[in-house]
Amino acid sequence: MRHPSVTSARAAYVSLALVVAAGAAACGPKDNDANGSSGDSTPHKGGTLTVLNSDPQTDFDPARLYTSGGGNVPSLVFRTLTTRNRADGAAGTKVVPDLATDTGRPSKNATVWTYTLKKGLKYEDGTAITSADIKYGIERSFAPELSGGAPYLRDWLVGAADYQGPYKDKKGLSAIETPDDRTIVFHLNKPEGEFPFLATQTQFTPVPQAKDTGTKYEEHPVSSGPYKVVKNENDGEHLVLERNKYWSAAVDDQRKAYPDTIDVQSGLDSSVINQRLSASQGTDAAAVTTDTNLGPAELAKVTGDKELAARVGTGHFGYTNYIAFNPKVKPFDNPKVRQAISYAVDRSSVVNAAGGSALAEPATTFLPNQKSFGYTPYDLFPAGDTGNAAKAKELLKEAGYPNGLTVTLTHDNADNFKTSPEIATAIQDALKKAGITVKLQGLEDNNYSDTVHSVKTEPGFFLAAWGADWPSGGPFLAPIFDGRQIVKDGANFNASQLNDASVNAEIDAINKLTDLDAAAQRWGALDKKIGAQALTVPLFHPVYKRLVGKDIKNVVISDWTGVLDISQVAVK
Amino acid sequence: MSEALVATQAPEALASGASGARQFWRRLRTQRAATVAAGIVALLVLVALAAPLLTALEGQDPTTYHPSLIDSARGGVPTGSLGGISGHHWLGVEPQTGRDLFARLVYGARVSLGVAFSATVIQVFVGLVVGVAAALGGRWIDQLLSRITDIFVALPLMIMSLALLAIVPQSFPRPVLVTLVIGLISWGSIAKIVRAQTLTLKGLDYVAAARLSGWGAWRIARRELLPGLAAPVITYASILIPVNISVEAALSFLGVGVKPPTPSWGQMLTAADVWYQAAPQYLLLPAGALFVTVLALAVLGDGVRTALDPRAASRLGVGTGRGRGRGREAVTTAKEESA
Repeated sequence: MRHPSVTSARAAYVSLALVVAAGAAACGPKDNDANGSSGDSTPHKGGTLTVLNSDPQTDFDPARLYTSGGGNVPSLVFRTLTTRNRADGAAGTKVVPDLATDTGRPSKNATVWTYTLKKGLKYEDGTAITSADIKYGIERSFAPELSGGAPYLRDWLVGAADYQGPYKDKKGLSAIETPDDRTIVFHLNKPEGEFPFLATQTQFTPVPQAKDTGTKYEEHPVSSGPYKVVKNENDGEHLVLERNKYWSAAVDDQRKAYPDTIDVQSGLDSSVINQRLSASQGTDAAAVTTDTNLGPAELAKVTGDKELAARVGTGHFGYTNYIAFNPKVKPFDNPKVRQAISYAVDRSSVVNAAGGSALAEPATTFLPNQKSFGYTPYDLFPAGDTGNAAKAKELLKEAGYPNGLTVTLTHDNADNFKTSPEIATAIQDALKKAGITVKLQGLEDNNYSDTVHSVKTEPGFFLAAWGADWPSGGPFLAPIFDGRQIVKDGANFNASQLNDASVNAEIDAINKLTDLDAAAQRWGALDKKIGAQALTVPLFHPVYKRLVGKDIKNVVISDWTGVLDISQVAVK
Repeated sequence: MSEALVATQAPEALASGASGARQFWRRLRTQRAATVAAGIVALLVLVALAAPLLTALEGQDPTTYHPSLIDSARGGVPTGSLGGISGHHWLGVEPQTGRDLFARLVYGARVSLGVAFSATVIQVFVGLVVGVAAALGGRWIDQLLSRITDIFVALPLMIMSLALLAIVPQSFPRPVLVTLVIGLISWGSIAKIVRAQTLTLKGLDYVAAARLSGWGAWRIARRELLPGLAAPVITYASILIPVNISVEAALSFLGVGVKPPTPSWGQMLTAADVWYQAAPQYLLLPAGALFVTVLALAVLGDGVRTALDPRAASRLGVGTGRGRGRGREAVTTAKEESA
């Protein structure tokens, strides 16, 4: 539930893009092919795992990282109160305990959450991890100079809205209590049944106050995980991690930590990464990527080669690409026009533009097609595979446009296969058949983001994409459809500017639930209810395909991240 | 008296101009490479002009999607051999969309050639006006225009174009904008050449005579100087055209050129660069088209320069066409040869 504050919402958007870009995949949850790529598939300890990435690990400070479930490389160094279940497929969408003994004990109305730390937890220097360190880690994420994390803590913790962090405000946050070294209690200002999901983010990692060096902490954060940072060059471009001898598998059942060393090399071109992984020469044989997908052209080449195809992993991150309408702009104020476009859309050509059926699945629901989000199938304006031009024309006639209509579709000029010109052109072609002439307005990446996320400049008809901070319907629906999250000055994500009392009330009601399965069902029902208003046209859910080097073993891809989990990978 | 002199000279100049054009063609024809290049350029222009006809003949258009011709499960690579070449799709189809590549290529020629030729016209026009004005104007005007010219020569074309194309509103027609940006930025060199040549011509007797007879600057420029500027300007323009084609392709490649779905060779190159292994013909077609066009225009430009260069006349064994000095003898020689 993202609060409508300018910077935080912006950060959310940017980081979601990063998370998606960062989606690493090596082997599908369903097609478990990468496991058997080398004769002996039993993973062993030892060796060096190389990570080839395009985006450097800048801001390697737990306060500044914006992650879904604690991140991939960060999660090797930072343990959190809870974490994502490191399992293939749907099982991987569950929250499991990490530093804590359970996923949290809520009070009756889910406003107070209590955690107890496991016994025997140690930092890389052998000192004990205490609950006060977790409280301190959270507090420092409020410091303006360490901004970058998700906005939830500021929104949810009692009295945290104006807190400036422990450097300025020595008293700390009264909303977090640490009655003893192993207990930590959070007081929230409203019921939040999904607090355990939030506790997976890196802000919940312990930071020993004595070792805190402020903005310099990112150069050598004190590890609570299986690896410690031994080298950080060029602001995270080259990171070398080695074993933390004080970490013990006895108190961490999630991270496998097979390799002895992890060498993260970033700043590489995506085609170079895929080329190096497919060649698998030298150290690249024991390499993976945590942020580079196979593009359509690369996929075409890889699928033609059996050896390469066996090294491709497939993953699903909860993400939806859609057309957004702004009903404040004519003619999109007319539901019939929005419905006509919903009917006219040719999802097969959009899917092809996004990389084909292997890289995108057609979407008719706003929620991703995963159970944890509460996915409830519906197709309220059935366009079939290739669009229903006849039905669209009929609706346009009823709407008062018997001779067709000319509209402008705004898209991003960046080649991202999400909101890019290829997708826009595919929609243009499909709508032509229904008598709708589409003019394309392509904007440069930054300009696009600013334009569509400001209520003052928001166009009537544009391409958008959304992913959640954790695999649940709440962070997926609320920022987009909660009327109280419309941001007048700053980054607004409620593009339709929907402010429907019944929708808002239902969001509040679901947030009170601590039974996440029951909550998921209601998110699904809410999605269908909002879908009837045709405020968006869901287009597709992306699928991640990634290569791994030929010596890589034990590839695990959860539906939470859609990408290979680096803590599970072995190179021997 | 001076009136009479000028009056008699004008038709002579015209006559020499006409025969100059004849000489020019004859000299161009003697260069085999230039002739072939001219043929290719003519063919390309014809293809660009006849794009709707050609695609109608093929039965395709550049924007229609053909999802049945691509393999969606393999990233959208064209089905069939050689990128889906068939009787219906002469050069195959585009990956991911199935749009006809022949249609996109010939329509792309319109953008590439249209922008390049129009931009050259603008460059020549601005260059001529500024160059002649600087040479004929007073010291201050010359100083001012020459410095402005220097500034434009020093401007980095690509960076300026990128900046300009990024700030102009999207509603402005893109091909026109690209033309204007290229044309109005890189006219400096041509202005410099025109100014230098005009200063030379200005010192010649017939121009002095015209000035003495009381002709205005505008009339002198039009009647006496322009014919003399034709050779260097045409030569330089023929070099500018291929440069402009490359610039347009580069701008489209960088995503600030013409907008989709309008095809352009540069844009096709951008989309195709990742496909070089999976669908090589997709990359080779626009790259080849650009290569052939730029090479043909460059060879033609070289031929034009040779044909207009009096010093090359003897080498080619064709007359110089200009009735002055040693050239007169050359004319005679040529006439004797042809007789």
